[in-house]
Amino acid sequence: MTTLTHKSVAAPGKSIIEKLNVFTALALGVITAVVVWRLSLAFLPQDADGATMFTREDKITLLSMCGWFVGFMTGIGALVGPFRWLMGKDLSHDENMFLAGQDMGPKRYLRYTTDHKVVGIQYLFITILIFFLGGGLAMLIRTNLGHATGGWIHPQAYNSIVGTHGILMIVGTIIMVTGPFGNFIMPIMIGARDMAFPRLNALSFWLIVAAAVPLMWGQFIGGISTGWSAYNPLASQAPLGMDGYIMYICIFAVSTMVAGANITTTVVKMRAKGMTWNRTPIFIYGTVASVALALPAFPVFFLSQVLSAFDRALGTTFYNTAGGGSGWLYENLFWIMGHPEVYVILIPAIAALMEMAPVFTRRPLFSFNVAIMGIAGISGLSALVWAHHMYISGWAPLLNAPFMITTELISIPTGMLFLVLVGTLWRGRLWMTMPLMSIFALLWNFMIGGITGIYLSDVPADAFLHGSMYVTAHFHYTLMGAGLTGALASLVYWFPKMTGRMFDKTLSWVSFWLVQIGFNVAFVGMFAVGLAGQPRRVESYAPTFNTGNLITTIGAYTIMIGMLVLLYGVISSARTGVKAPKNPWQAKTLEWTVDYPIPLENFDVLPIVTADAYGYGKAKS
Amino acid sequence: MVEVITPQTPQWWKKPDVKKAAILWVICTAVIGFVGVEFHVRSMVRPASETMSGVINLMRIFTWAAAPVAGLVGAMCITVLTSKRHYGDNPPAEADHEIRNSPRATALWVVVSGILCLFALVTGMIVLQQDNKAVLDTQAIQVNVTGQQWVWNFDYANGARSQDLYLPVNKPVVFHITSKDVKHSFWIVQMGIKMDANPGYTTETAVTPDKIGVFDVRCAELCGLLHAYMQTKVHVVSQADYDAWLTAHAATEAGA
Repeated sequence: MTTLTHKSVAAPGKSIIEKLNVFTALALGVITAVVVWRLSLAFLPQDADGATMFTREDKITLLSMCGWFVGFMTGIGALVGPFRWLMGKDLSHDENMFLAGQDMGPKRYLRYTTDHKVVGIQYLFITILIFFLGGGLAMLIRTNLGHATGGWIHPQAYNSIVGTHGILMIVGTIIMVTGPFGNFIMPIMIGARDMAFPRLNALSFWLIVAAAVPLMWGQFIGGISTGWSAYNPLASQAPLGMDGYIMYICIFAVSTMVAGANITTTVVKMRAKGMTWNRTPIFIYGTVASVALALPAFPVFFLSQVLSAFDRALGTTFYNTAGGGSGWLYENLFWIMGHPEVYVILIPAIAALMEMAPVFTRRPLFSFNVAIMGIAGISGLSALVWAHHMYISGWAPLLNAPFMITTELISIPTGMLFLVLVGTLWRGRLWMTMPLMSIFALLWNFMIGGITGIYLSDVPADAFLHGSMYVTAHFHYTLMGAGLTGALASLVYWFPKMTGRMFDKTLSWVSFWLVQIGFNVAFVGMFAVGLAGQPRRVESYAPTFNTGNLITTIGAYTIMIGMLVLLYGVISSARTGVKAPKNPWQAKTLEWTVDYPIPLENFDVLPIVTADAYGYGKAKS
Repeated sequence: MVEVITPQTPQWWKKPDVKKAAILWVICTAVIGFVGVEFHVRSMVRPASETMSGVINLMRIFTWAAAPVAGLVGAMCITVLTSKRHYGDNPPAEADHEIRNSPRATALWVVVSGILCLFALVTGMIVLQQDNKAVLDTQAIQVNVTGQQWVWNFDYANGARSQDLYLPVNKPVVFHITSKDVKHSFWIVQMGIKMDANPGYTTETAVTPDKIGVFDVRCAELCGLLHAYMQTKVHVVSQADYDAWLTAHAATEAGA
């Protein structure tokens, strides 16, 4: 970073970069969107008579959203660097230092700041925001389903709430560990001064912000009435809100790819001297596996939505059987992303808990190699299982058996992760903290999520269970019961390093028990109604499902209270919490060797690593 | 199970925490297996076909197969949690060992999970194969199912058409399923069968109802505004009643 002084441009007065921030971005985004909207309204030809879809409106909507996107990214300053390169120049040293955001106070959080610590905090902020919104929508869903006759939300709005809750939470859970902790902690943990591509890091964050607006915009032009999976041909007959979903996914997919390339490169190239692969902490493996898995998956997601946009706006028929396409094409493209994606969410969360396990049991991680084999095995297999989401779609009944094999094989590497965690707990000295209890909670929840996954992977059983509330409960057990549990533990664990203050102990415990108990109440109720035959994504149900749904709703409210307690804990602890010592958990990874506030490039002298981070335990046995 | 045998320490199975975990393992396995099976079987609808009975059986078998694994994890967690807990702001003393792995335990774990996985696969494959064969039965009653937003239509071989499904008891039926607009999913809840209705394609599934009664058909794939209300009934009746119903409706259809 600091050495980028060649071909620097003279900066007379204030550089353009210093004038740009989130407000200029919002302003330019809105202006561009309005201009593109007026222009396309004036110049786009009318649809031919008899056109059944809203082709022209779709074109206008998509173009306006593209206008927003280009305007926002220009306004935030993402294009300054590339533009300079086009001119054969680069940012000056001063400009780079400005982008790094040193001594800039809170304002740097509203800018295209390249410091990985700032990006990490920005990610944390947006993750909390996404969970707040997605959780709020979940509460609307559960309130509506509290009683069979109590549905007070219009079906169209309800469907849109379900879809928006789904996609918000998917995005929120994808970024919840690799975003805040992968950006803030990971470079320090490997002893690097920053990410390999600091500007790409800023880009990946601001892309998520840019993406959020089309999604919200979509809520006002018909909503996402298709569920988060947006199956075609339902999506091609959906209202204009669908275009918001398409734009959202396209931009988010780019963000994920950019972040994936950046994190992978950083870990491969920038580990401290002496940090061989055997000495690299397991959390790093989890982060890399997650983003590396996203690298091939998300381009396919991007592609699936581009074709969807073509079908809607240009009258193509990629997903329309009558026109020579097929809805099954969409399902394949979607799930080729969709299954690796659940491990994109899960692996870093579990790896984070593996990182904490030795710290809170004061003994070495059990079977480091097996942990890596497990992560690698899951990552590899997860690319080969997508069609288990399509067992009963009729696409290829002959392939059900092979996909059943690959799916059930995943239980073996998953079992390895259990072995590592249980083996680490065994004969440890338990230090009772919220992160430690989260490991037990993960084992409990992920065991239930995993075993119900075996039922679902079995084709004949899936013929009964597919598309029922049982599936919904199953993936909440894995993504929330396991994934979110790991993310919340990470928050409490790394909170001292990120804010300089300890997370309030009492609040962390209260929130932990409320969330975990509420979660298990809610989703056991949901398993029951699924088994009794309640389909997913319904806004009304037969009276026989009353009890189970009421239990789920009560559990959901308990989770909400727990999450609000946690949110209060984040705010109050960050403002007035106990000042944290340098290494409050007496952990051995590198991030605990730097003082708070962490200097711009983390280390004065780059560390040299001579052992792995798990050298706990005394006597040689 | 992670202890290395050395002459100084007692043999690993004689250590108190191992004994405790072993006892807990038996208890946990029994509790998890029993509760798991009861939860599933009691929550599930009463079966109205052999397919559904088969599904319930599979759940029973899988739950019992998974119970020892879950039980072992549970037993070890309880053993750990009920000993050597440390509260406070500073870490406890470090553990009195630094065991980093146990090849034997790992090998055992992987082999056992491999065997369980194989067992689940074989069990599932056998049932899957039977289900696949049933679709080819040409002697079976053939019913065309058409989904459209937001009703089901059933067409019978003699030209009859209905929105409630009528089937004779104990006779195999093959459904040919398609859709007029978007994807739906044809689910006869109590018979344990489900197949998507895709526009432009025909998919098949088969079942033999074995109980007389009225059962539920629900759409299991989000299909738009009134997806939740896209349900109808299956009337499984005796052969004589079925024949009478079919003749009556074929006549109406022809007259219309």
